[in-house]
Amino acid sequence: MTLNDVKEWLYGCSHCGTCKDVLGIFVPSCPAGERFQLESYYPSGQVFIARAVYEGTLSLADDDLRDRIYACTGCLSCQQQCGVYHRDHIFEIVEALRAEAVTQGFLNPAYMVLIDSLKREDNVFGKPKSERGDWAEGLGLKDASKEETDVLYHAGCMLSFEPELWEVPRSVISIMKAAGVDVGIMGKEENCCGGRLYEIGYLGEFTKYAEHSIETFNSIGVSKVITSCSDGYATFKNLYQQVDIKKKFEALHVVEYIDQLIKEGKLKLTKEVPMKVTYHDPCHLGRHMGEAGVYDPPRDILNSIPGVELVEMPRSRENSWCCGAGGGVSQSDPEFAMWTANERLKEAKATGATALVTSCSWCERNFKDAIEEYGIDIEVYDIAEIVRKAI
Amino acid sequence: MLETGIKSRIVEELEKIVGSEYVSTNKADLYIYSQDMTPAEQVWPDVTVLPDSLEQLRAIVALANKEKVPLNPYVAGGNIGGVAIPLKGGILVDLKRMDRILEVNDTDMYALVEPGVTFGILKAYLDKHHPDLMYTYAFSPPSTGVVTNALLQGLDNISFRYGAASNWVSGLEVLLATGELVRIGSCAVSNVWQALVPMPELAGLFLGWQGTTGIITKMAVSLWPNPKHSAGLHFQTKDLDGAYKLLKVISRTRIPDDLIGTSFALNKVSMLAMAHKKASLYPAVTPGPGEPEFTISADISGNTENELKAKLKVIEEVVNGLKDDSIVVPEPTPSSKAAFPMQALAVLSGGGGLMWVGCYGPMSTWLETAIKGCELQDKYDLSRSCYTRVMNEGHFVGLRWMIPYDKGDPEMVKRISDCCDEQLDMVLENGYIPYKTPVWAVRKIEERASPELLELHRKVKKMLDPNNILNPGRWGVPQE
Repeated sequence: MTLNDVKEWLYGCSHCGTCKDVLGIFVPSCPAGERFQLESYYPSGQVFIARAVYEGTLSLADDDLRDRIYACTGCLSCQQQCGVYHRDHIFEIVEALRAEAVTQGFLNPAYMVLIDSLKREDNVFGKPKSERGDWAEGLGLKDASKEETDVLYHAGCMLSFEPELWEVPRSVISIMKAAGVDVGIMGKEENCCGGRLYEIGYLGEFTKYAEHSIETFNSIGVSKVITSCSDGYATFKNLYQQVDIKKKFEALHVVEYIDQLIKEGKLKLTKEVPMKVTYHDPCHLGRHMGEAGVYDPPRDILNSIPGVELVEMPRSRENSWCCGAGGGVSQSDPEFAMWTANERLKEAKATGATALVTSCSWCERNFKDAIEEYGIDIEVYDIAEIVRKAI
Repeated sequence: MLETGIKSRIVEELEKIVGSEYVSTNKADLYIYSQDMTPAEQVWPDVTVLPDSLEQLRAIVALANKEKVPLNPYVAGGNIGGVAIPLKGGILVDLKRMDRILEVNDTDMYALVEPGVTFGILKAYLDKHHPDLMYTYAFSPPSTGVVTNALLQGLDNISFRYGAASNWVSGLEVLLATGELVRIGSCAVSNVWQALVPMPELAGLFLGWQGTTGIITKMAVSLWPNPKHSAGLHFQTKDLDGAYKLLKVISRTRIPDDLIGTSFALNKVSMLAMAHKKASLYPAVTPGPGEPEFTISADISGNTENELKAKLKVIEEVVNGLKDDSIVVPEPTPSSKAAFPMQALAVLSGGGGLMWVGCYGPMSTWLETAIKGCELQDKYDLSRSCYTRVMNEGHFVGLRWMIPYDKGDPEMVKRISDCCDEQLDMVLENGYIPYKTPVWAVRKIEERASPELLELHRKVKKMLDPNNILNPGRWGVPQE
């Protein structure tokens, strides 16, 4: 994708500023703009940069300018607030700028480890591929690459390589087993979905990952691919449509699948879990899915757990504030990513909840890092961990 | 453009004042500030700075005055007049971080705000803490500055009752170019900011001056009781003559909170924008058979349902008294109040550009002016997009032809610029004067104003800003 591919949308923005705040409640909606305050960090600023680069007025050779285009977390809140015809294409414009930078050879050093790691180990953390399935040790799970299985659980890079979060995939497996699901994993053969590559402008590399993943899932014959990674989910559902290979499987997020299992009566949540919680909607599970945003299933799940009291934050559902980890920001500017997360944690704390529950491993990691950095007193859980407590 | 040595020195000093994080010479930032929605010529500032406090702002102004460097205040830049474009470059002071609501006085009904407070921020605050009070909002995005809107004498949704936005300023704190901090109004002698009177009305040295005589650091603006009952009436007329009759007769009732009119063709184009599609006025959309030329909308409120009903009844009676079969009294609809501040979708959906000749003038020449303005749009094959708002119970009228356009289409830019040129000459001939006045219109107004008035402007400017640093090149330009 080049700026020429999005030129139809480059002149839509009038710099009216509507994207800066959540409509109706008028609190900040854009993490980058709110953190850095300079106009170039806001969505309208990004569109203006794209317009000027397209016209030759600004150059991507400018390091400081590129810092601005990599500060966007890709949360799409601007697209939710904007009312103008280019509204669905704002992040596409940012992605086109990033792709243009890569094409012109202006690579972001912060992404070099990630790119190199993907090339060598098929994950974004530089960890050995052979360790990818270590989280499942002792669970006796089927190897879906060798054995026939109905459902494939895709843990994603974060949950595979972050031992502090292994309770999440292990909870998912417990839940599935409790519901009698025939589930398997790919273990060390699991790959990154490639979504992060797309968001930081490496479109060619993304396509390779997309083709490989679709062909792999098709070849092993699973009916469903279930993931805990919201980024991965949006990649499977949205970005993989750009690859001309028919998918023979259905991609679902864990929250959708658990919700189905509960509503079909296959999963009984009977144990009391006395907690007051608030739910953080991951951007990739919400706004990235457009009208198919997954907002109700996690709430239905939480409301079906005995003892759980769910309270909402002012910015929720379509208007959720980003955790700060998206769009490559957790790699390029971890300090800003944690600042964004802390803004969310403060909002969560103000509801009176003792825990923030989410359904994205990147969000969870970033929130936990922010708690360590800023010291706010609130617990963070993946929704699967709460569900497991109720079984 | 500043010389490199001076610029480096200024940037270094600015960084000491606010921290390097809030100073930028990056071309991306400067490019954004160099323009606005209009086709006004781009002029780049040399540096932008974002102060967070009065102390920081004072230090910045002192620096600019010492170095004799232009200093241009900025909040959102959405004035549709190029008013925030730094005509002479220099320092652009983005005031968005000074966005505190310092006080809401419930009994005396005012809000005391810093310059970065937007309509959105104020609305959210009132809804949460003072739901019985409301502010008035312009037909503009939520990011519009409360202070700048009042400073630039905007027209808002209770302007029918109270006139231009500068009318509801009840106190000012102004930082002069020479460093003095001055309070104007009751706030000068007490802690309450209830009114500008009874003192010499020095607010006129700043209101309407486009930030050329001082920087407003605090402003008190009136609030009003939030009415419990409200309704909208939308009349349709087959021509502008019918619209004129309605505007006059409804004005004389003194009943509405807001009384506006729009070309029906603009409404049709707006439907596309509401569906998130591009809204172009070119080629012209004309009303179909049986479709009206104009819509007149009155917003009406009451403390009780009976009061509201009585007001609606009065409007019905006076309109029926016109004995014009072509004008039908419509059924009341929900008031549009709740939608403010709004996204103003329609006029922002043309391709990044919005231009108009917006002016205030007498009701007595409204019809002639509105017709000629629309005919000029016909000449340029643009859909008629007249928008009017009766001000101060009919003592004057706001009138403009709103033209969303594609900034990436040079032919369209020329078309609308030529049309607006002709409209400007026409409105001035009819006694209408452009508000939030673009510099090209300021120069035309000055051609018509007396030399004595221009000399007075220059004297005021010189007295308050001896080094001509504040938003130079606009009102009160020194004689060459």
